Amino acid sequence: MSEKYDVVVVGGGPAGLSVAYFLADKGYTVVVLERGLEPGSKNVFGGRVYSYPLDKYFPGWRRDAPIERWVRREMLSILCRENMASIGYQLSRKPDGHDSFTVFLSRLLKWMASKVEEKNVLLASNVRVDEMLFRDGVACGVRAGEDKIEAEYVVIAEGANTLLLEKHGLRGRPSPRDIAVGVKEVVRVGREKINERFGLGDEEGLAQFLISPVFGGGFIYTMKEYVSVGVVYRLSFNNHVEGKDVIEELRMHPEISKLLEGGVPVEYSAHIIREGGYKDLMSKPYGKGYVVVGDAAGLILNTGFTVRGVDLAIESGRLAAEAITKTSPGEELSIYMDLLRRSGIIDALKKFKNVPKILSNQRIYVEYPDLICKLLDNIYSVDEFPETLNESLKKAVKGKTSIIRLLLDLLMTVRSL
Amino acid sequence: MSVEERLALTKFEVHSEPHIILRTEKCKTCSFKICVSSCPAGLYTLNESGEIQFTYEGCLECGTCRIVCPENAIEWNYPPGGFGVQYKFG
Ligand SMILES: Cc1cc2nc3c(=O)[nH]c(=O)nc-3n(C[C@H](O)[C@H](O)[C@H](O)COP(=O)(O)OP(=O)(O)OC[C@H]3O[C@@H](n4cnc5c(N)ncnc54)[C@H](O)[C@@H]3O)c2cc1C
Ligand code: SF4
Ligand code: SF4
Repeated sequence: MSEKYDVVVVGGGPAGLSVAYFLADKGYTVVVLERGLEPGSKNVFGGRVYSYPLDKYFPGWRRDAPIERWVRREMLSILCRENMASIGYQLSRKPDGHDSFTVFLSRLLKWMASKVEEKNVLLASNVRVDEMLFRDGVACGVRAGEDKIEAEYVVIAEGANTLLLEKHGLRGRPSPRDIAVGVKEVVRVGREKINERFGLGDEEGLAQFLISPVFGGGFIYTMKEYVSVGVVYRLSFNNHVEGKDVIEELRMHPEISKLLEGGVPVEYSAHIIREGGYKDLMSKPYGKGYVVVGDAAGLILNTGFTVRGVDLAIESGRLAAEAITKTSPGEELSIYMDLLRRSGIIDALKKFKNVPKILSNQRIYVEYPDLICKLLDNIYSVDEFPETLNESLKKAVKGKTSIIRLLLDLLMTVRSL
Repeated sequence: MSVEERLALTKFEVHSEPHIILRTEKCKTCSFKICVSSCPAGLYTLNESGEIQFTYEGCLECGTCRIVCPENAIEWNYPPGGFGVQYKFG
């Protein structure tokens, strides 16, 4: 590879493929370099994507994208020691553009890659980029092993693990406080059993957010034939269970094991998630000749209940493409930041800027869920002499935490969500 | 199910050279040993004499150990293009 391209993109995740998709439309010659054997072979996520960017930019996607199920059931559950406390929300409306679907990320990326290749973008897999190249302070290409690939613009879409940016001093290494680890298992359960156990129709999917006093957070997404179950643990917590055992811990919970009974696990995966929120956003995700998109730039939104990464990756890719079309080679791509601001993405990140503080408060994951479990246990274990709610609450709180601290945490949580 | 059995579900194309190199002299004086409890693949273990042992086969390329090690003892890179973990579902 010694040709010169208009644009070289590092990383074939949702962000990188999106930049290529939009630039190819404008007649740029683009090459995407992906270290995996094929698009999707290195990517890990939970299981849900919001539809709006696909509706806007990928005509006909509802017919040919590898959609598993439409999310029609949202659940928030606390895993008590043996029981489970849940709030459910049932959506009866049909897909109308504000919906979301479950999907396997590897398959979605393969589909996106096919859309990108239709536009004559060169997708070079098996290529690990080792460094960016600069000439007089202007990014002018990348080096992968012996190969140098020159370009007028360089797009960094390397994902959450920002090796390249750190190597060039463009970003610091994240603190463990701002990082969580997502670990996931995909289990083949079968369509009929999934429909029956989760109360779903054939096309209907479930997105469930879990809180556990034992291991932190977690999720369940139903696919057509498979169920994805995962745990998200914070590196700064005093974790009771080792990372290698968290999935087993989740699987052993009586309520979870009922849902997965007889299922055959087919894949185990893990990836870090940047959870620093707004303060983790690069203040300057661009420079002379380069832009940074997706997770690498910190463009991921955790609202406390949902993770939005893929949609922001696609949107930021589109805006980076637009910035490139409006900036001459060698110039600062500062217009990208203006476009991000105008799009509302930055405001959204700002709005949820206190969520990381809550998520890093161990009491939210450990003490309060435990308290809710005790309270519910008291309320629903009926004996001869029933307790009032007030008595149950007092009993549950006893020796655990002060009511004042509880109220303060509650206040903080409500104000940041 | 043990983590070894779980790892056997996932496909790997192991390269002959390790992509993660541990500077074990730093581990000797490290009192945290937090890599052991954090790695979701359980690739960092302690032997009987309390020394860290590490193997790179089975690495999920999650990035955790690089960030969690307080001593900067881990030289971390991705495997060469095409090698390492191969996710089918992701
Ligand atoms: C456990 C977990 C659950 C999640 N759940 C959800 C969810 O349900 N919904 C949602 O919307 N988001 C979710 N996310 C977030 C979402 O996965 C990310 O926001 C999204 O994948 C970011 O896209 P990206 O293109 O920026 O990065 P990535 O998807 O990480 O892609 C980066 C790509 O760059 C390649 N690459 C990296 N370095 C190099 C190099 N040097 N040379 C060549 N190639 C390189 C990688 O192989 C990879 O393919 C979750 C994340 C995790 C970890
Ligand atoms: S935390 Fe770092 S220094 Fe300590 S034992 Fe693990 S790798 Fe070595
Ligand atoms: S990258 Fe992840 S799986 Fe690989 S050794 Fe480090 S912590 Fe373990």
